[in-house]
Amino acid sequence: MSLLELRNVSKIYGSLRALDHVNIKVEKGEWLAIMGPSGSGKSTMMNIIGALDKATEGEILLDGVDIAKKSASALTDIRRDKIGLIFQQFHLVSYLTAVENVMLAQYYHSVPDEKEALEALDRVGLADRARHYPSQLSGGEQQRVCVARALINYPEIILADEPTGNLDEANEEIVVELFRRLHEDGTTLVVVTHNPEVAEVAQRTIVLRNGRVDHETINPGFTGKIKHITLQ
Amino acid sequence: MAKKRQMYFRMITASLLRRRSRMVIALLAISIGAMILSGLVTIYIDVPRQMGAQFRSYGANMILTAAGDSISQEDVDAAADLIGPSDLVGLAPYRYETVRVNDRPVMAAATDMEGARKTSPFWRVDGDWPAASGEIMIGKNVARTYNLKVGKRMTCTFAPETEEAAAGGTGEEEVVMDNYKDFTVTGILDTGGNEEDYVYMLLPDMEELTGEPTLYDICELSVSAASGNLSAYADRITESVPAIHARLVKRVTESETTVLTKLQALVLLVTVVVLALTMICVATTMTAVVAERRREIGLRKALGASNASIVAEFMGEGLVLGAAGGLLGALLGFMFAQAVSMNVFNSSITLMPWLLPVTMAASVLVTGLACLIPIRSATDVDPALVLKGE
Amino acid sequence: MMMIAFTIALGASLATAMLSVMMDVGDKINQELKAYGANITVVPKDTSVVSELYDIGDENITDSYLKEDELGKIKTIFWTFNIVDYAPFLRTRAALESGDEVTVCGTWFNHHMDLPTGEELDAGVMSLRSWWDITEGDWPDEQAADSLEIALVGSQVAEKEGISAGDTLHVTGPAGEASLTVAGVFDAGGDEDDQIYVPLDTAQALGDLEGKVDSIEVSALTTPDNELAEKAARDPGSLSVSQYETWYCTAYASSICYQIEEVITDSVASPVRQVADSEGQILEKTQLLMILITFLSMIGAALGICNLVTASVMERSQEIGLMKAIGAHNGAITGLVLSEILCTAVIGGIGGFFAGIGFAQIIGRTVFGSAVALRPMVIPLVAVLVVIVTLIGCVPAIRMLLNLRPTEVLHGR
Repeated sequence: MSLLELRNVSKIYGSLRALDHVNIKVEKGEWLAIMGPSGSGKSTMMNIIGALDKATEGEILLDGVDIAKKSASALTDIRRDKIGLIFQQFHLVSYLTAVENVMLAQYYHSVPDEKEALEALDRVGLADRARHYPSQLSGGEQQRVCVARALINYPEIILADEPTGNLDEANEEIVVELFRRLHEDGTTLVVVTHNPEVAEVAQRTIVLRNGRVDHETINPGFTGKIKHITLQ
Repeated sequence: MAKKRQMYFRMITASLLRRRSRMVIALLAISIGAMILSGLVTIYIDVPRQMGAQFRSYGANMILTAAGDSISQEDVDAAADLIGPSDLVGLAPYRYETVRVNDRPVMAAATDMEGARKTSPFWRVDGDWPAASGEIMIGKNVARTYNLKVGKRMTCTFAPETEEAAAGGTGEEEVVMDNYKDFTVTGILDTGGNEEDYVYMLLPDMEELTGEPTLYDICELSVSAASGNLSAYADRITESVPAIHARLVKRVTESETTVLTKLQALVLLVTVVVLALTMICVATTMTAVVAERRREIGLRKALGASNASIVAEFMGEGLVLGAAGGLLGALLGFMFAQAVSMNVFNSSITLMPWLLPVTMAASVLVTGLACLIPIRSATDVDPALVLKGE
Repeated sequence: MMMIAFTIALGASLATAMLSVMMDVGDKINQELKAYGANITVVPKDTSVVSELYDIGDENITDSYLKEDELGKIKTIFWTFNIVDYAPFLRTRAALESGDEVTVCGTWFNHHMDLPTGEELDAGVMSLRSWWDITEGDWPDEQAADSLEIALVGSQVAEKEGISAGDTLHVTGPAGEASLTVAGVFDAGGDEDDQIYVPLDTAQALGDLEGKVDSIEVSALTTPDNELAEKAARDPGSLSVSQYETWYCTAYASSICYQIEEVITDSVASPVRQVADSEGQILEKTQLLMILITFLSMIGAALGICNLVTASVMERSQEIGLMKAIGAHNGAITGLVLSEILCTAVIGGIGGFFAGIGFAQIIGRTVFGSAVALRPMVIPLVAVLVVIVTLIGCVPAIRMLLNLRPTEVLHGR
């Protein structure tokens, strides 16, 4: 059984069909990239998968449970328990330190544990920046804090919305490397991007156009092997 | 669970301390509101007392008259004891006798000058009040009639009451029998009333002049009390001191009640209006401060925070702010009320400790309510929209 | 922006209401203090030293009189509008049927006057002695048909003689006699309780004193005395011309007295210190109290507005960052923000001003039962206050905006 399955999902904003009868399956442990030009429905799909938004019609099966008809508060619980989110604009709480931002996710999920949060920051190579505020961190560092925050609760699935959109190439590489490691650990990854370089490292790429799945490619370059690069 | 609570407080303190400029704004707004609340309420409560003291410048509001022939010192003391020193502003017993100056009758009053100063603060004395034996204060009209000035000497004669004298002033030739005493005029009294026709001397001088022990005809009291209490005092004195009949000077008491009631109503109304407006100000400021954080609320929701926990966090912040602002404002308000009292009434304000918790509770309540509305509307927001950038 | 306009409107309405009330509170409290009765008494120049209170002889109390036909002139003096009320008095002794002698006092109860200015005035003891408690019956009505044969009897007399409202009273004066209907019994808590009050004409007939009165009590709105007034009270002649002008044209008790003396032949008008002085003192305190409360509420309103302006400008940091990014100069941004906020302030201020007038009227009606006069002074004061406060409120916000780095804002800090 797939971890996530979208069956005939449509999202309609007024007269605009942002998603038009989309069918997607994501297997457990899979690394999927979603691509497409602006306005193709990437973000809408991301929001629907991330339980941030509801589909107009269709079924969304997460772990075999249809979440399409769930109430807002049930969706909140699903986000909390099963999903880790990474945003293009990072969205860190400005008055909390890096480690506190990670702990915030723990706080809503279960119990904040500073040690665990520090370990998560260590995994993204930010152990020495844990006490810094977002304004004292570079964009790449902020995005790594986001990654640490997303993975801290061991979610079923990590959703990244244009994770490298605000980053330079060096930082982009670091983030992609983090994704590789997550993948290696067996985490399911869905990355929405318009950057082919980020997309092509995934196992499979789905290209959306006008709210429909245009085509789907299995990435020939994906080996499952990790090329190690050092994180500073 | 303890860790969770710890994180809760960590977040609140972080938000309060690290977002300093915004929090100072909110704190300022709340403490101003609280200051106005505590300051005005203090003034409102204290105004009748302070203003009542001012109204004592109208002079005596209670008159003790003799139920029998005259009043003794003991009777006066008994009456004063019934009122108590805290409410009794002034007491002046008067003894009236007709004396003759240059063979013309003049009404002479003997009193305790210190008491008279307090019961008749509106008396305007050109010169000095009599302080030592042989000194006399004369009414303006008397001064004009006899062409007397401050420092001049005058002689008062007194005819001891005989049968004929009591019958009707026919004893003008019997001056031989009269007592007399020389006085120095120390002051000329200007009141615009009957007092200008009298001469005022000290009690021992009157005793010496008449050769009779002091018994009073009338006693004026200036009592600082609300009109209800005042009539209660009067009734009690009349009841417990048989020689005295206590009466209220209606002209003073009734008018004082009217004016004080109006004044207090004015301050109350002003307090209510000002308070309502400042509360709205506090609410709008808090709304602005919370509205600024919509994106953060969206993020927290995306991270899986329930509406209840978001409300709890933001309210926690609001309540801390409310309590801190309330405390600060209550102290400032007290200082303000004190400053007003010192400036207007030259006296210290009554400290009302209960006002501190009341102010804090009120400001916590107002801040809480002011936060609740924008937080509620913010939690209704779709996190996806907020996070996608405005 | 709506919220700013709203807050400014609130602040402006508060300022308007408080300023209006503050400026009018003197007059209002002054009116209330009139309950203390007359603050000026007018007597003939040669009143004898003999007191009325503890009257020594049985001879007639005064031997010189004021003229009744000059009474109307009191309403023609410079400060005529400050004369709220006045009443003449004529005291005479009269015997009752029982043989007891009482003081009969002729006066106005509710005398109606048509003034040369076209105004109408109801003057008399009914309002001048507002503290009298009518224990039985009612105030006599001078406008009624049989207005000359009525009397108001003091409670002490009534008790002693067994008189009650509705009785007929036969009094014999030095020069005449009259049958009076007792309209009511009053309790004044003072010496008046031993007297009988009748219409002026009746008292004149009893004492053969047609056209004469022995004193006039005047209730006037006065300004608290200061040094100048005291100097003038001693001798108006000692003032310089300009001082005299100032004094004459200020409603001091002494200048009103002086003006009354000018119109009433051979009279001495003097302020009743008990009333005049105390009034001044209480008035001063009340005004000071209101000024300080106004001051406090102004600070409150000002800081409220400042706060909100700051908070709402900060909210727009992103927009401003964008403007900076596309090349707006600091000056242009400041100008934009300022003009926007000032526009809002003007709209809010105008709305608030009218709301404030409403508030002031509510306060006036509730507390004093009369409208609060609108002083034109309030308009520029409120306008200046609103503008200054708004500008001050912008200062921290604008400083913050100018220090803003566009990159930080646009990258979502």
